[in-house]
Amino acid sequence: MIAVEGLGAHAGQFELRDVTFSLPAGAWGIVLGPAGAGKTTLLETIAGVRRAHSGRVTLRGADVTRLPAEQRGVGIVYQHAFLFPHLSVEANIAYGAHDRAYVADIARRLGAAPLMSRAVGALSGGERQMVALARALAPRPDILLLDEPLAAVDPRSRTRLRRELRGLQREQSLTVLHVTHDFGEAGTLGDLAILLEGGRLVQAAPPEALFRRPASAAAAEFLGAENVFAGIATPLDAGTEDEAGTMLFRAGSMSLVGLGESTTATHAVIRGEDVVLSPVRTGPSSARNALDGVVAEVVIHGALARVTIDIGDQPLVAAVTAGSVSELGLLPGSRVVATIKATAVHLC
Amino acid sequence: MTTHAPVRVSHRAATAGVVAGSLLLLLLLALPIATLVLRSGLAGLGQLGVDAELRGALWLTAQTATLATLITVVLGTPLAYLLARDKLPAAPIVGALLDLPLLLPHPVAGMALLLAFGRASPAGVALAAFGLAVVGSRTGIVLAMLFVAAPLYVSAAREAIARVDPRYESVARTLGDSSVRAAWRVTRPLAGRGLLAAAVVMWARSVSEFGAIVILTYNPKVASVLSYDRFTGEGLDAALPVAAVLVILALVPLLVLRTLRASAVSGEPAR
Repeated sequence: MIAVEGLGAHAGQFELRDVTFSLPAGAWGIVLGPAGAGKTTLLETIAGVRRAHSGRVTLRGADVTRLPAEQRGVGIVYQHAFLFPHLSVEANIAYGAHDRAYVADIARRLGAAPLMSRAVGALSGGERQMVALARALAPRPDILLLDEPLAAVDPRSRTRLRRELRGLQREQSLTVLHVTHDFGEAGTLGDLAILLEGGRLVQAAPPEALFRRPASAAAAEFLGAENVFAGIATPLDAGTEDEAGTMLFRAGSMSLVGLGESTTATHAVIRGEDVVLSPVRTGPSSARNALDGVVAEVVIHGALARVTIDIGDQPLVAAVTAGSVSELGLLPGSRVVATIKATAVHLC
Repeated sequence: MTTHAPVRVSHRAATAGVVAGSLLLLLLLALPIATLVLRSGLAGLGQLGVDAELRGALWLTAQTATLATLITVVLGTPLAYLLARDKLPAAPIVGALLDLPLLLPHPVAGMALLLAFGRASPAGVALAAFGLAVVGSRTGIVLAMLFVAAPLYVSAAREAIARVDPRYESVARTLGDSSVRAAWRVTRPLAGRGLLAAAVVMWARSVSEFGAIVILTYNPKVASVLSYDRFTGEGLDAALPVAAVLVILALVPLLVLRTLRASAVSGEPAR
């Protein structure tokens, strides 16, 4: 288990401030945020290689804030592997290990066994990360901190390493905190997603909730939400049988029914994949929002397409399959109806 | 085309000026050394076989310079590490303290050492109790060499250590090393060539020291003092072979340094 409470730390002029979250034992936490958000500083402070100036770090239920790094039992892997260049691959992996047999085992699991006698200078980017992961796992830590370890790895190796890591994490009940810019990784690996910005915690929630219900418009945009509208939220008229938190949101000439926690919401967030397009209005539907518009632009990326629709004075982006574009005859200038469920309109 | 012509001419003139200026400076530096070696180099090497005083002075110079360098490596490397990793709260003061001996005229450094460690000084009295005399002794030579050359070592060692990314140590610490052990097992080997180069610079500077040594210890004579002694006592012709041998000896650490720098690789290449 990793828990931080009001954590603060300096990294040069940068300051991490008042970060609080808790990751249960055996869970996989994802740390997201733009460059300079404090992701690496957070990991280093948890590992103990950077001193916390305020707050508390709790590992496995024990306060370790003042404990040196070597006594915390935490492995760390950086984006640049930082393999010790004066040592062979085998010596790197065995550096902190207590069990030679396990060194061979972990090297084999991660595909580093054929590299053991090689000098680290002769390794490719993917191989370096493989060795760095094996080195971090060789002392059998129960907590692993990963700072974008797969960012510089080719897609094929990345998929394999991710699978092996997930397998090891489940087998050994590792608690993993993983910095990544890959939202796919966040979705597939994470039990908890932690969003940092400017050294502060913006939101900590399960990945699905983070992506569906970001805490702010800035968070939504960082997380890749295609549609973020500024406007005003008001409660729906009394007497309607809507679920709690249902509100009417007006952004220019566009009105949307969405879910939010208070009327102070100033933005509506809609993910492109939640926008359903049809050439005409269909019959009765559970969706609360049906918006008439005109296709402004269609951009196809492989099997997917982004369709921009002008809804009055507001552009709405829908993410559909490339096949749907031809099936629905979506061409610039064609009329279309965009349908969105109220639950897919997040007010924040 | 015509608008570009003056620009091209002035560019050529500037290039010619830079080349001429550089050549002039190189000539000023090389001419005295080349003249000395060409005139007396062979004579100096020949004299090594017959001049026991010269051999003794060179041996003494090498011994004391080596001892001063070893003491500085042992005491100065941890200091350089603390400076490189910003772990000293009073780093600017320490930095200034380290720069000061480099800025002092070397006879002034000798006088300062004489005042601080002379027979009448408290430190001199304390050292005498252990049978160590600074004035007129090998200890004095080592102390003078250390005073003028140790800052060079610390400064170069600090740079060599600073070039090693501290995250190598971070990784080593998460693998179970204490901060001292991580610095020893990881940073020391990675900064090794830089530390060796720093030691070579210090050794060479110690060998060439004259001003501070001559104030503290005229006898026994190191090579630089012997050269001066022969110049004042017997004239230029007598001093030249000794001087030429010193120049030839200075080439050895210079070549070592160039070799180290040419093959220096610190840390992991950026990816």
